[in-house]
Amino acid sequence: MQEPSGDIRGERTDAVESRPDGSESRRGFLEHAAGVTMAGGLTAGYGMLVSHAVRFLYPSETDPGSWQFVCTLDDLQPGDSMPFTTPAGAKLVVARQAEDPAQDDAFIALSSVCPHLGCKVHWEANNERFFCPCHNGAFDAQGNPIAGPPKAAGQSLTRFPLRIEGNLLMVWVPGTGISEVISETNA
Amino acid sequence: MSRLNAWIQERIPVHGDQLRELTNEPVPNHLKRWWFALGGTPAYLFVVQVVTGILLAFYYQSSPSAAWESVRYITEDARYGWYIRSLHKWAATLMIASVILHQMRVYFTAAYRRPRELNWVIGMCLLMCTLLTGFTGYSLVFEQLSYWGATVAANISDAVPVIGSFGKQMLLAGDTYNERTLPRFYILHAAVLPTTIILLMAVHITFIRLHGVTELHFEDESPDEPDHFNFFPDHLLTELTIGLVLMILLSALATVLPATMGPRANPLVTPEVIKPEWFFYVSFRWLKLFSLSVAVISTGFIIAAMFVWPWIDRLLIRLTRNEDASVYVGIVATFLLIGLTVWEAVVTH
Amino acid sequence: MSVKTKQLIVGLLGLMFLLSLIFVQAMEVTRRRQELGVGPRHVSIPASSKGCVECHVKSSPGIIDHWKGSTHAVRGVGCVECHQASREDVDAFDHYGATIATIVTPLDCGRCHKTETQEFLASHHAKAGNILASLDNFLAETVEGSRIPFNPHSETPGMDVDAVNGMASVNVGCRQCHGSKVALQATDGGLITVDDLQPDLAGQPTNPEALARVKRDENGRPVLDAGSWPNTGIGRLNLDGSLGSCSACHSRHDFSPRRARQPENCGKCHLGPDHPQKEIYEESKHGVAYRDLKHHMNLDAKDWVLGKDYTQAPTCATCHMSGHTRNGGRVTHDPGERISWTNRPPVSRLMDTDATGAVITETDPVERQKLTVSSWRDKRQEMKNVCMHCHTQNYINAFYRQYDDFVINYNEKFAKPGQQIMNALREQNLLTKPNFDEEIEWTWFYLWHHEGRRARHGASMMAPDYAHWHGMYEVAERFYQELIPQARELAHQAQERQQTRQAQAVLDLIDDILSRPEHEWFEAAKKLADHAPESLTAEAAAAVPEQDPPSADTDSREEPTENGGSSESEEADGDSSE
Repeated sequence: MQEPSGDIRGERTDAVESRPDGSESRRGFLEHAAGVTMAGGLTAGYGMLVSHAVRFLYPSETDPGSWQFVCTLDDLQPGDSMPFTTPAGAKLVVARQAEDPAQDDAFIALSSVCPHLGCKVHWEANNERFFCPCHNGAFDAQGNPIAGPPKAAGQSLTRFPLRIEGNLLMVWVPGTGISEVISETNA
Repeated sequence: MSRLNAWIQERIPVHGDQLRELTNEPVPNHLKRWWFALGGTPAYLFVVQVVTGILLAFYYQSSPSAAWESVRYITEDARYGWYIRSLHKWAATLMIASVILHQMRVYFTAAYRRPRELNWVIGMCLLMCTLLTGFTGYSLVFEQLSYWGATVAANISDAVPVIGSFGKQMLLAGDTYNERTLPRFYILHAAVLPTTIILLMAVHITFIRLHGVTELHFEDESPDEPDHFNFFPDHLLTELTIGLVLMILLSALATVLPATMGPRANPLVTPEVIKPEWFFYVSFRWLKLFSLSVAVISTGFIIAAMFVWPWIDRLLIRLTRNEDASVYVGIVATFLLIGLTVWEAVVTH
Repeated sequence: MSVKTKQLIVGLLGLMFLLSLIFVQAMEVTRRRQELGVGPRHVSIPASSKGCVECHVKSSPGIIDHWKGSTHAVRGVGCVECHQASREDVDAFDHYGATIATIVTPLDCGRCHKTETQEFLASHHAKAGNILASLDNFLAETVEGSRIPFNPHSETPGMDVDAVNGMASVNVGCRQCHGSKVALQATDGGLITVDDLQPDLAGQPTNPEALARVKRDENGRPVLDAGSWPNTGIGRLNLDGSLGSCSACHSRHDFSPRRARQPENCGKCHLGPDHPQKEIYEESKHGVAYRDLKHHMNLDAKDWVLGKDYTQAPTCATCHMSGHTRNGGRVTHDPGERISWTNRPPVSRLMDTDATGAVITETDPVERQKLTVSSWRDKRQEMKNVCMHCHTQNYINAFYRQYDDFVINYNEKFAKPGQQIMNALREQNLLTKPNFDEEIEWTWFYLWHHEGRRARHGASMMAPDYAHWHGMYEVAERFYQELIPQARELAHQAQERQQTRQAQAVLDLIDDILSRPEHEWFEAAKKLADHAPESLTAEAAAAVPEQDPPSADTDSREEPTENGGSSESEEADGDSSE
């Protein structure tokens, strides 16, 4: 609170006279109380407004993503793989590696985009590897790099979480990307 | 403490006394009456508009395909979005109301007379800017009424002789409302007009400081009392009080009558009942009373007359030899204003 | 006003402002809570169906909108997941690069919804399409229409009608509930159905000859016969050999569980003069409570378990299909699993079912025991488990006692005697072979098929008016005032034709039936007159109605016995109502 001590009433005409004289003795408790009340009230009121404004600007709800249907378990036999495109357009390769669906990694979903420079990998059944034709990058069935630039850089294929519901294979896909918004607008 | 003061003093070489001198304009006593503090109210509301407007701009999208949806997002999905939008809407309403009240006070107290004629003209410019800001802002919602309001307004401007067609083209960026129209409204509403208002307000306040506030005296004041009090802190506290009262009032209005969403603009269907925002009721009713060109030209003349009223006033005094001639004109104009507004408000067509 | 006072005022106003903002916050929180769960769910269009959506959102936006409101859409199941077909499928065609079929069958749905499809296929619902050669079908095909197209007898101004399709009533009436036999047009002008295609288990046709005859339109699309499609009858006979249609209850394309939970959904078929289950339900306290409390019944719940998600009132689905707390929330798609009497045939039978799910007609107790896979007692217990959520054991048992007594009274007093009379008339050749060409055949049909079922269904679902006025009252009137006089008339006509022995057999049977204690009141004066001196007749006749009703106390009864051995031509009737 800035000073002005003393009674500054309408009667005071001279601005200079109303200046604080700095005398501590003249500052009573009440004077502080009024100042503190004012400061408190102003801070509380406008502070709350600011907090509402911040909450307004903070993203309200980000689309957390969702579990999306890929195929039924029967559609994908052990050793087989299939392409899957998420609604946002990300390309995935879903592969079944074991007969027993309960087994760990019985199914895996790997991004088919090479982490090196974004080319599309494909599964080579005879070599049992994902191969990227751009710079001869290669990944094993789990998406770990085994050759080429990704191996040098230690870049694996991105894995998407999978889960089995009954006899359905579901994949977790992240929320709406900007690409989907754009494609929807174009449609 | 003193070292800190010295440090600050060295970097910001402004002396406290100078600062006080600068701010401590002696305020005439009549400003203790709320009626005379109306000039600060639009300024305060303008700040509210700038703050809430900036917040809304974070989410608003000005393309016709996304505009309505983005406003819906603000109103329904974003946290406190409805509150911020309602504040913005109600502050606009109150701002226009207080500008009009402020102008009426100035008019009826003849505060525009020599040497303050120019400040009256600047005030008129501010009024025009405020109305335009209100108009463009409403259009941004892109709901049925605001879309058709804008269409009608553009065609009215088309009827203005000589510059009308130019004005319409400039406003709509084409012959009709098109996909480049909304961004125009947005830039006018959020950048051009606010900047103009800030500049005009700076000039307006500078003029006030240069001339001093018109001093008024009342019969119930004792002649012994000093006729000025201090701007700081006394009048500032008054303004703070007014500001808080306004905020509480705005909050109450926003919660009781929040801004809602009308149906999305549909260029193929004109709604049965079409009305502009309340502050255009007068001109809307005026339009219905006369043929388009008569109404437009007469509106132009009235506005022009308002701009140059300080000189018309002098002319009137000379002609009528009555100091209060303008007051009588003002009373008639006020009744006309209120009458037309109420008329438009109570009828559907 | 002093500066201090002003400061205080500013401070207090600041606090008031704070309060108003706290109020704003409270409003925001309430708003959030209200919106939770009711807001639009986010729908991403699966990549596989992007092309379909782009086009169909313009050509048929309703389909897309419905689908967007479905759980399928939320879970990433798009158009091709259900409509996909293999090239070997008879109704498959190429549609902008995708091989699809128009009709989605339970075989398609069953790829994901395995259990549901299996339960459904085991149900009486799935067999509803087998009504060929049944009474009802004879009615619609021959009596109401014509099996063979016939010529119009005068012009229809404004339309060129060169032949009348006499199957119209069957197509629009019977089959929209029972299901059509889906047919493709053949190049030779005939029709190709599942019978011609002989599909294997995967639904693919094994008869290349039939496949070769399929007629295709200019786009190469097989042409579905308009008499068989559109059709969502619950027992539809599909081209892939599967039975039924899931969209009979789960309307496409939103497949709303909410809708399937509501009685209106069942009411598409289960209403009307012969099986007004929906009206009966509406009359019952159950239906009354539902109408009142519908909005509290959590109809949008994911699992909708009785006793957990709601208890306000039962709907059709609640009692016959839905999960509840006593069965671990298990839903069944066989609504017969909890039904202990079948009230469909002229004489109600207990629902002991064999391995195929058919109701056992065997009367020998030992044989019956051997055949039974699921007994009526098991089924009743299943239903009681539902009832127990709101009623006590004693209450439920007593209800079933009332219901059993009602059904047995109907069976013994009217149904079995009526059937005996009809059988006697046929055995004695006093009726012609075709049905519905003699008045008494209509009379008997009304008695059991309309009135008798109304009565029994009314009793099964607590609708007194249907049990009595729309039911037993009309059964009795039909029996005493129409069936008996008409049977006697037929016998008298036979006497005139000198068929004395045949006529006497029928008349003796009628007399035998009417002399039973429960029929004694009827024609009491006449009976006495036949057996007593003239002077006593009037007195005795007056005394008869005051006779005490026979005691109904038959607690020792364990199980109603079937008066078996009667051949029932009505057995062929495949009407699905229970």
